[in-house]
Amino acid sequence: MSFQTLPPILASIFSLLAIASLLLTFVMLGSRWLRNYLYAFAAESWLIAILSAAVGYFAGFPELYLIAILTAVFRGVVLPYLVWRIIRRLDVDREAHETLQPASALIIGALSVVFALLVARRVGGELGLVGTVAVLALTVMLSMKLIGFLMLSIRYEAISQVLGLLILENGIFLGAQVLVPGMPMLVEIVILFDLLVAVACFGVLVRYLSSAVGTTSSRELKRLVG
Amino acid sequence: MTVRDILLQVGQVLTVLLLSPLIQGVIVKFEERVQRAQGPSVLQPYRDLWKLFHKRIVVPDTASPIHWLAPVVAFTCMLTVPILIPVLTDFPLPYSDMGDILGGGLILTLGSFMILLAGLDAGGAYGGIGSSRAVMVAILAEPTLILVFIGITLLAKAMLPFVVNHLLVGDPAVYFSPAHLFLVAAFFVLLLVETDRLPIHSNTHVEVYMIEEARVLEYSGPLLGLLKWASMMKQFILFTIFCNVLTLPWGLSHQGTALGALAAAAGLVVKFVLVGCAVVFVETVQSRLRFYRYQEPLAASFLLATLAIIATQLA
Repeated sequence: MSFQTLPPILASIFSLLAIASLLLTFVMLGSRWLRNYLYAFAAESWLIAILSAAVGYFAGFPELYLIAILTAVFRGVVLPYLVWRIIRRLDVDREAHETLQPASALIIGALSVVFALLVARRVGGELGLVGTVAVLALTVMLSMKLIGFLMLSIRYEAISQVLGLLILENGIFLGAQVLVPGMPMLVEIVILFDLLVAVACFGVLVRYLSSAVGTTSSRELKRLVG
Repeated sequence: MTVRDILLQVGQVLTVLLLSPLIQGVIVKFEERVQRAQGPSVLQPYRDLWKLFHKRIVVPDTASPIHWLAPVVAFTCMLTVPILIPVLTDFPLPYSDMGDILGGGLILTLGSFMILLAGLDAGGAYGGIGSSRAVMVAILAEPTLILVFIGITLLAKAMLPFVVNHLLVGDPAVYFSPAHLFLVAAFFVLLLVETDRLPIHSNTHVEVYMIEEARVLEYSGPLLGLLKWASMMKQFILFTIFCNVLTLPWGLSHQGTALGALAAAAGLVVKFVLVGCAVVFVETVQSRLRFYRYQEPLAASFLLATLAIIATQLA
């Protein structure tokens, strides 16, 4: 599929959807409240669903409609609901300890986007990717991965780390939608169910953590037992 | 350079001069209405200015000539900037090629700088606090402002506000491109910071929270009137740049007839009421940030500007 032939207004809309989901990742990075993370993640999933439906419509991949619906239902509703249930059971509603202030985290995030842009240009040139949307998708994918890693490394709460992992995955999914829209559907469905299992397991682990250690912050997990 | 163009240019300056208290009044009125209070009349700022210009001037003993100079310079700066930007017409008028976006920014900053000096000049405690806080905010806001200007320049391949206006009116693909929308969002945060609004500035002027007000505490009478008017004009000018250059570039006089200019002025009031509603919304839902969290909205704005520049690089 070629994005060269896209009319400029469509290219604008595609880039807007991709960058808006990147922006929602920054909302997660800049906030302190677990609930905000969750809302931002749900909204981001809906945007990705819209994006894959749009790619399916304009590039002629009807199977992407199904993917869009699955994305909206699983990532937009079911996963946030599961995480919300975990949050409701815990008595933690915000990140108590910060290694890095949200403002500094935002600046580092911006730098990582610049880095991702440079890498994406290089990789796009090597792979012969044409069209700005493809390079943009690569940039958004890489920077969402970097920000996901950043969240995993600067946040202590178990929920934040689950959501950091989910962002990472969302980034890869978004990039795949645009770069390889014809990815076999079975693979995508497998990934979706994989996530479902992952979040369910995390739920069990978090509950175990809070009952056995008395906290869900990984700051307390310093003592080796064996 | 025709007589008509000169008249239009004078009209631009007069529009800013005469309508700026109105928009201040409208925002104050709306804010009070949202809180279910009656609120002052939208004409109250005009009455305040009238009252101030009929009062005596009291000057502190410690004041130097800067005390007299600052209000005049600040007021003149605000009269100069409207010449450079599209207030009524979408084509350049005489002398609007004196400076580009950066030039306009320089003159705006010169006005603030003079008020800052005036705050320090009389040696009062509050003036010093106000000036130091204002510099702190300016240090945080300036990098973002420069980045927004760079983003606009990269988007339009020009530093003239008229070119940006034509580009956005002519090409909806550019209007809806992420680069442009992020610039709008980044500039909106700057707009709140520069026009003394929440989340950084307090809307009640208690000594503990004062930033802009603290700098002018030593002033009285007509000099205070000039300073207040200058700050209202600054707000009007920033709103004009936000609307006519970035957000709502439509509805400017294209042929420069008297009727067109009047309609453009009326359109300007409508646009400003829209932006005013957005400002009132933010002021209603946001509480004031404490001092050590000032950098947060500005870091977000910096981030948006960075994203906008990245998006222009991809386009």
